Amino acid sequence: MRSRDSVPAANMAAEELPSDFDIVILGTGLAESVVAAACSRVGQRVLHLDRRSHYAANWASFTFNGLLTWIEEQKEESKPEKIEDWSSLVEEGEELIHLSNSDPASITNLQVFSYTSEEEEADEPNTIEEEKAAGEDAVKESSETESAGSKEEEDAGPAEEEEPAETEEEEPEADQPPTSPPSNQSEPVRKKISHAQLVKEGRRFNIDLVSKLLFSRGSLVDLLIKSNVSRYAEFKNVTRILTYRHGNIEQVPCSRADVFASRQLSVVEKRKLMRFLTSCMEETEEQTAYSGRPYSEFLRDQQLGESLQHFLLHSIAMVTEDTPTEEGLASTRHFLRCLGRYGNTPFLFPVYGLGEIPQCFCRMSAVFGGIYCLRHSVHCLIVDKDTNRCKAVIDSRGQRISCSHVVLEDSYLDADRKRTATPPRYLSRAVLITDASVLPSDPDQQISMVTVPPTTTGGPSVKMVELSSSTMTCIPGTYLVHLTCQSVGSAHEDLLPVVTRIFRTTEPQEEDRRPSVLWCLYFNMADGSALEVEGHRVPSNVYVCSGPDGALGHEHTIRQAESIFQKILPEEEFCPPAPNPEDIIYDGDNASPGEDRAAVENGGNQEENQEKEGNQEENQEKEGNQEENQEENQEKEGNQENQEKKGDQEENGVNQEPEE
Amino acid sequence: MQAPAPEHDDTFDFLFKIILIGDTNVGKTCIVQNFKSGIFSEKQQNTIGVDFTVRTVDIDGKKVKMQVWDTAGQERFRTITQSYYRSAHGAMIAYDITRACTFDSVDHWIKEVELYGAANVLLVLIGNKCDLEEEREVPFQKACNLAKERGILAALETSAKQSQNVEDAFLMMARELLSRNGLHVQQADAENPSMPRILIRENSRPIDISIGAYIPPEKEKKSCC
Repeated sequence: MRSRDSVPAANMAAEELPSDFDIVILGTGLAESVVAAACSRVGQRVLHLDRRSHYAANWASFTFNGLLTWIEEQKEESKPEKIEDWSSLVEEGEELIHLSNSDPASITNLQVFSYTSEEEEADEPNTIEEEKAAGEDAVKESSETESAGSKEEEDAGPAEEEEPAETEEEEPEADQPPTSPPSNQSEPVRKKISHAQLVKEGRRFNIDLVSKLLFSRGSLVDLLIKSNVSRYAEFKNVTRILTYRHGNIEQVPCSRADVFASRQLSVVEKRKLMRFLTSCMEETEEQTAYSGRPYSEFLRDQQLGESLQHFLLHSIAMVTEDTPTEEGLASTRHFLRCLGRYGNTPFLFPVYGLGEIPQCFCRMSAVFGGIYCLRHSVHCLIVDKDTNRCKAVIDSRGQRISCSHVVLEDSYLDADRKRTATPPRYLSRAVLITDASVLPSDPDQQISMVTVPPTTTGGPSVKMVELSSSTMTCIPGTYLVHLTCQSVGSAHEDLLPVVTRIFRTTEPQEEDRRPSVLWCLYFNMADGSALEVEGHRVPSNVYVCSGPDGALGHEHTIRQAESIFQKILPEEEFCPPAPNPEDIIYDGDNASPGEDRAAVENGGNQEENQEKEGNQEENQEKEGNQEENQEENQEKEGNQENQEKKGDQEENGVNQEPEE
Repeated sequence: MQAPAPEHDDTFDFLFKIILIGDTNVGKTCIVQNFKSGIFSEKQQNTIGVDFTVRTVDIDGKKVKMQVWDTAGQERFRTITQSYYRSAHGAMIAYDITRACTFDSVDHWIKEVELYGAANVLLVLIGNKCDLEEEREVPFQKACNLAKERGILAALETSAKQSQNVEDAFLMMARELLSRNGLHVQQADAENPSMPRILIRENSRPIDISIGAYIPPEKEKKSCC
C-alpha cells in the first residue's frame, strides 16, 4: 500500500508506454495541442508529452501559488544535462539527435514586486523588511527608467542584459493565517488586501503567462466551433475597449450602440465616425490612392478630428503611426467584422484563463485515443542516415518508441538547429494584481481591452487587458491586469513607465484615485513569431512549433498548426467536428439520438445580426431592434451553434462511431 | 437539409454535468455504460470518440438530463486537464474494492476536484466491483469514514457487472442536485447577470451555473452504513 500522496510522479513510474505510435508530440503549447487533436481525430495514434509538470507550456495559467513556484523554477540555474549513452538502443545506419531538456532562453528578466499592505507587520515580522525593500526598489527604478527614455545602445536584446538585483520577497507559504482587518486605514473606501490573503485565496487565481484575446471571427474561434472543442470551454465577452489618452483612460466607442450612447463625442463626431466606419468596409479609390502611405496620414485627411483619429488608429485598427494604409484598413475591417457576434466588442476571453485552450485541444486528442504524459520527455531522436527521417525517439526513461512523425515545441531543439530572426525578438510582459479598475463603472465586473499608444516616440505601444473576477482569473475585490509589448529593453524598463502612469505603487496620496498595485511580475518571453517557418536543421519528418507571439489574436499559431497537420496528413481534413455524444448510438441503446432544434434556429438569427453590424448603415430605429435581438441571443446563450455547422455534421454521419 | 423529425421528446427541466474520476481500471467506463444502457461488457476497451454519455431520468415529475463525462484515459498518468473539472456539478470518485491502492488515491482525486472544480461540487464515493467479495481489500466502513471526514454526500458500493447500485448512485446525485437547485441560491462569485458566460456551441451547458456555488446546510450523510 502506498501512502496517500498528491504528488503522483513516483506512482506512475511503473506504467509502461506502448512502443509504437504514428506521431510523437513534445510540448503542450497551443500549436502542439491543436496538432495533437487534429491528428488523433482522424485516427492517428498520438503520444503527447511535456517535460513540465503542467499543461500548456508558455501558454499556461497558474494559480497564485503555482505562479510563485513557476517563478522560483525560472530562477533556478539549469543543470548541465547529463548525456546518457543510448548506443544500445541505436541500430545500424542510425544516428542520434539529442534534444534539450530545459528551456533557459524563453523566459528572462524576471522581476517580482509586492506592494501589499504593511499591516502584515504584526503577523509576519520576517517579511516586512523585504517588502519595504521591494517598495523602495521599485520607486527608485521607476525614476531611473523614466529618465532613461530610449535604449538604443542595448540592441543586443534583453536576454543579454545584466539582471538588476531582484527582489524576491515571495515565499509560497500556503497556510498563513489571514491577517486581521486594518484598524486605522487611511483610505476607508477600498478594502486592503494583504499578501497572506493572496496566498490563502491563491487557488482562485488563474494567471496567464500570455495575454491574448479571441477575435470573435478569428481562426481560433472558427476552429473551436468547427472541431467541437468549444464544448470544453466557456467564454466571456470583453465588455469594453479603453484607451489611454492625455493622461486619462477613456472608453472607445466602437459598436453602433456605443457610438450613439457615447457622451464624449459630439453629434458631428458621431456622424463622422459612423460615416467613416461605413465607408471603410468597402474599398474605394480614395483608399487605394493612399496605398503604401501611412494609415495615420489617411485618417488625418478624413477630417475626423484628433480624438476620432486616435480611436481609429490605436484602438480599432490597433496599428502604429507608420503602418501602411492598406494594412490599417484591413485591421479596421477585421475589427468591424468581429463586432456583434457575441457582444459589443470583437473579443472573447476564456473563463478560467487562456491556459484552458490548449488543454481543451488535449482533451479532444485524448478522447480520440491520444496518450498523455507530463513530466516526461524525449532525450533523443533516432534518425535514419539514408533517408534523413526520424524513425523513433528515446524517452526520458530510456524506452525506444518508434514513430512516423515528430512535432516539437522549439525549446526542445538546441539553438544551433533552429532558424530564428536576428536579432532575436522578445515580448515584454507585466502581470499586475490591482485593487480597482482603471475605469471604475457600475456594474464593476468589466473586462477591458486597453490600448496604450507609445509614451515616447518610437517606443512600444502597449496592449493591456484588465480582467475582473467574473472571468474566474482573480478573486473578488481584485483585478488582474496583463500588459504586453514588443521588447525594446527589459520588460521592467519597457512597461514600468506605463504602470506608474496608470497605477499607484506607493502609499496613497489624497486625490489620487488610480488603482493600487498589490503585486506585480515582469518578465520577457521569446517572441514566437521570430521562429522561421522553414530552414531548421531537423529530419524531414520533424516539425517545429513556436511559442506565443505578440499579436493580440491567435492567427499565427492556428495557421502554423494547420500547416503542420497538412504536411503530415495532406489527404485528411483538419479537425472535422467531433460527433455529438448524444448522437452516438450504442448497442442495446433504447434512447434515440438527441438533437437540439432550438439551437439551430437561433444560429441563423445571429448570422443576420452580423451582416447588419458589418454594414453599419442601418438607421437608429433598427439599432434598437438589433439590441433586442442580441439580448435575446444572449439569453439563449448556449445556442450559439449556426446552421451551417449542423448541416456539416449531418453530412458527416454523426450517427456512426468514428473509425479508430 | 431536412432532418427527419425526432420521435422522442428532447426537452428537459434540468441538466447536470457529472464527472467520473478515479484510478485506471476501477471500472469507470463500465459504470457509465451500465447507467446508460444497463449492459456490462467484460472486455471493456477505451471508448474512442465518446466525450460523455447522456441519460434523462424522471425525478418527482422533473426531467433531469444527466451528462456523465469520462476521463478519456487521462487518469492513467494523472494528466487530467483542468477544464474537465470546470463546470461539473457533481463528481463521482470511483475506486476498486479489490485494490486498496485505488482507494488510497481517492484523496488525490478529491484534491483535484477542490482545486479545479467550482466551489461545493457534489461528491459521491463509489467502491466498484463489489461482486468480487472474496477479493475485497477495502472494508466498506473505511469508505464511510472517509466520506464523513471529507464532506462527501455518500459512499456506495457498486457492481457494474451485476448492475448493482449504479443507477441508485446517479439518481441519488440527481436528487441532491435537484434539491439544491430548487432552493433560492445566490451566486458566490457575484457575477453580473447582464454579462453572461458565452458558450460557443449548444452542448453541455449547465442550466443554472449558480448551482455550483451553492453552500449546503449541515446535514446528515445519506445511505452511509
